[in-house]
Amino acid sequence: MEKILLRNIDIQDSHTLQVYESRGGYRALRKALKEMTPERVTEEVKASGLRGRGGAGFPTGMKWSFVPKDSLKPKYLICNADESEPGTFKDRLLIEKDPHAMVEGVILASYAIQSHTAFIYIRGELAFGAKVLERAIAEAYQAGYLGKNISGSGYDLELILHRGAGAYICGEETGLLSSLEGGRGWPKVKPPFPATHGLFGCPTIVNNVETLAVVPWIIDQGAARYAAIGTEKSKGTKLFCVSGHIRNPGVYEVEMGYPFRQFLEEDCGGVPGGKKLKGVIPGGASMPVLRADEIEGVRMDYESMQAAGTLLGSGGVIVMDDSTCMVKTAWNIARFFAHESCGQCSPCREGCHWMEKIFARIDNGSGEKADLDLILNISGNIIGRTICPFGDAAAMPAAAFIKKYRDEFEEHIRQKRCVLT
Amino acid sequence: MALEFSPETWRRFEELVGRYPKKEAALIPVLSMAQKEFGHLRLQAMEYVAKIIELPAARVYSVVSFYTMLNMKPVGKYHIQVCRTLPCALMGAERMAARLKRKLGIQVGETTSDGNFTLTEVECLASCGTAPMMQVNEDYYENLTEAKVDDVLESLK
Amino acid sequence: MDPVKLTIDGREVVTTKGKKVIQAAADAGIVIPYYCYHPKLSIAGNCRMCLVEIEKMPRLQIACNTDVSEGMVVLTQSPKVVEARKSVMEFLLVNHPLDCPICDQSGECWLQDYYMQHDLQGSRFEERKEHDRKREIFGPYVVFDGERCIKCTRCVRFLQEVTRTGELEVLNRGDHSTITRFPGRTLDNPLSVNVVDICPVGALTDRDFRFKVRVWYLKKTPSVCPGCSTGCNISVETYQNRIARFKPRVNEEVNSHWLCDEGRYCFHALTEVERLTSPLIRQEGGLVPTDWETALWAALTGLGKADPLAGVLSGRNTNEEAFLFGKVIAKLSAQPALEVFYQERELTETEKVLKSPDRSPNFQGARDMGVSTNGGFDLLLRELIEGKFRGAYIVGEDLVSLPGNGEKIRQALEKLSFLVVQDTELTSTAKLAHVVLPATNFAEKEGTYTNRKGRVQKLNAALVPPVGALHDWQIFARLLPDVGEKISSHTPAEIFQEISRQIPRYGGLSYATIGELGIQLSDETKQL
Repeated sequence: MEKILLRNIDIQDSHTLQVYESRGGYRALRKALKEMTPERVTEEVKASGLRGRGGAGFPTGMKWSFVPKDSLKPKYLICNADESEPGTFKDRLLIEKDPHAMVEGVILASYAIQSHTAFIYIRGELAFGAKVLERAIAEAYQAGYLGKNISGSGYDLELILHRGAGAYICGEETGLLSSLEGGRGWPKVKPPFPATHGLFGCPTIVNNVETLAVVPWIIDQGAARYAAIGTEKSKGTKLFCVSGHIRNPGVYEVEMGYPFRQFLEEDCGGVPGGKKLKGVIPGGASMPVLRADEIEGVRMDYESMQAAGTLLGSGGVIVMDDSTCMVKTAWNIARFFAHESCGQCSPCREGCHWMEKIFARIDNGSGEKADLDLILNISGNIIGRTICPFGDAAAMPAAAFIKKYRDEFEEHIRQKRCVLT
Repeated sequence: MALEFSPETWRRFEELVGRYPKKEAALIPVLSMAQKEFGHLRLQAMEYVAKIIELPAARVYSVVSFYTMLNMKPVGKYHIQVCRTLPCALMGAERMAARLKRKLGIQVGETTSDGNFTLTEVECLASCGTAPMMQVNEDYYENLTEAKVDDVLESLK
Repeated sequence: MDPVKLTIDGREVVTTKGKKVIQAAADAGIVIPYYCYHPKLSIAGNCRMCLVEIEKMPRLQIACNTDVSEGMVVLTQSPKVVEARKSVMEFLLVNHPLDCPICDQSGECWLQDYYMQHDLQGSRFEERKEHDRKREIFGPYVVFDGERCIKCTRCVRFLQEVTRTGELEVLNRGDHSTITRFPGRTLDNPLSVNVVDICPVGALTDRDFRFKVRVWYLKKTPSVCPGCSTGCNISVETYQNRIARFKPRVNEEVNSHWLCDEGRYCFHALTEVERLTSPLIRQEGGLVPTDWETALWAALTGLGKADPLAGVLSGRNTNEEAFLFGKVIAKLSAQPALEVFYQERELTETEKVLKSPDRSPNFQGARDMGVSTNGGFDLLLRELIEGKFRGAYIVGEDLVSLPGNGEKIRQALEKLSFLVVQDTELTSTAKLAHVVLPATNFAEKEGTYTNRKGRVQKLNAALVPPVGALHDWQIFARLLPDVGEKISSHTPAEIFQEISRQIPRYGGLSYATIGELGIQLSDETKQL
């Protein structure tokens, strides 16, 4: 399979402009500015079938087309580099190893929606990534790819690198906007949607790093080539981050639709230490876990994952072997969400902590059988009833762990301790 | 004495604020600057930022309390943040934290009496493929083992 | 205004484009419960209490942020909605203390009310409750209980959007979220207590009112704030014939939902005084009690011989009183110098949201009634100090205690050949009088005020006046026959009928047309 997103990362000094250009970098930008109207760029991305890689999988070109063309307000393009989903570290790799691909993607997307101010919102903890990006942006300015009259086209764009300060919720696009407005990272009620009322009430597009990083390739190579890769509804390649009990952890670029079992066992080398696979979370900690027996036949694309009762999410694959206590695991995830709940709406603010407290109690041996149904009920009372998808993200995995490992939970409760140790 | 930015930081502040569509949008980077300059964000520092960025002090206080990287209390010379989230937990994060606590003689959330080390447990730092991991100030230390934790601490002394 | 037709709970509702489902439902009399929504604040959508089912939408939607659309079908009582509300109530009560008996909000707490309507189940929460700050003093009038707070952020939004002072914000995140000030700062803007009014629970309470009386014992009388000429609509809430508090009454034409702190607490100074319960008359240098007949006769004869005569009416006197006062003075003096008290002060930006620069709620009405014949109150006061007058009839204003000119006024009043003071207490001014007539306050009488913008609004009696005192209008009505003016009106309503006949601008008005929200005067009011 031809690497698209990871095509540059193994090259020495791949983060520099020189290397990026030597590998065809910024060719797409020059082409777009010279030969394509903004609408044409959007159409091309639409035709590629590219879907947002931040987790929701919304068609990227369609999202861009929601920006009103006749708006008198400024328009903003924001690259969401607030990668915080547990199990996900693909954007960090792109930022550190191929920053110019995302910068070029940012410029192309900004051109497509006719924005003249773009931001990269990078999570504050990624200090090294911020340094790399800062340098890349400076190089791009110097080379005339940013600033006034880019490549003599008359198109202007300012790009601001904005560092966050530590809050998972700022990865949610409207939480990100609140944060970028100088506030708490509180998600906003929708409607209105960011494409019409985003940053400071102006039309705004927020795209994930991986989404933007692939745009130059699509413009350079053409939508048809991209659309030829993957499945009918999940086009192209996607980055998967593999962590946990796996022989070869890391970031993999996979053609959409690739068999999941084969990926885990062959590409990633399977579960090490003679242990067996017990479960795997395929799309970051907010997605429902799959038992070992559930991954048979599952393919790595949006539809297949959904059919299996989970979601592709951000591509954060967390592997658990048979020595893993699922009570502790569920509690660990519940604690994460309790810690990261922004506290804005009632079900999430109260429900996440409530679930965390019950999981902790079960873990330490004070659980009761009725607690399991109580968690399922609390989870159900959060799902679909919050301002942003965080509520679902916290509630879905909690329910999934109980439903899929109920025997272990009940035994843990009965014995008042972990049954595996 | 009233806190204020050094001339150099003030220059960077003005340049930064000038790039944003509204002054208040620069609040978080300005708070990060203030934290670097003043060590931590004590009340006077937040009042100062509120003044220069023209926002109510309560707003600044509220924002600081929301973000884990903004500290209202002083932290040690080395702020050790050990990840506790699932991928790291699966790979032995608890053992790493225990090692750090024993070596430093402090609990999570505490600072050593010499003011050198503060130990914090944090959530996912996007380094799951190289778990377990910790961050010391701005640097990542990955694929940790207890021996590696010892080495890192030794190198910081 | 494009009409939009939708169906709510099977009922066809016609509303206008741009309305939210929650408003359209309320207009049609369908109540959707909510906490964080407030018609005058931005939409926060955080409490999730107003979730409703909307046909063709897979998830429940918050009615406060859902625009109505043509043909929309809304269910507010479906099993899904009922279940969702129940769960929201459960979440809100997870960390809420069950201390209703010692909570001052008890009886007007939305958690209590909604629990009865939408929850009615025992708690399934068996974990340790999170604790928060109790009884933190936020400002001179507002106290905070963090554990009772449901983080609806109404207070935060009010201070951001209405007063633009931003004293309160949310601190921390998750279930440690709480409301805070900046340490060391106080919530003391001139409209601060509105946060208590809009707090749906017992988190923010009124330090002046709390623990005085259980709210269900309060008697509520709609009236008008006597603090200034904005004429904010209020509910005067009383217990055992004392005012316990003012609450704002919604009137979009006047004060919207708000009331300023100064107005809110002005009843203390105006009503909590040592009351005069008998007329007084000067004898051998001292004031001694007398009966009404003697006092009124002495007043009339004294004033009748003291021309030129100045008449000063309080800005808190009603239109009905001003109307009669003008007639009394006109009979006593050939060239009556008549003015209603009026003084302005500088207002801050926040004060301007609601306050007028004066403290005379009815100066406009008094002038409409003819109580302004001398070129304004300031001129009258200057002439009084200059010794232009020989007699004065001062109603309800303690001129001697005015800052600045007090001493000069005292000297001027001491030189008068005759002074009548009519007030609720023995003020410094009253102590100089030859005759003192015991009157009633704004809360004890019925009548009308006309605000700065020309809106006539109704005052209602919330308290029973002390025995021995008479309303100003009653006193004037008793004086009138003695000066030879026939009077056929015996109640404020009848006096107002007389006003509507004699004062063209008030033509056609009556207490019935004024109603509870008042009526705007204009050139057209004549034709009403």
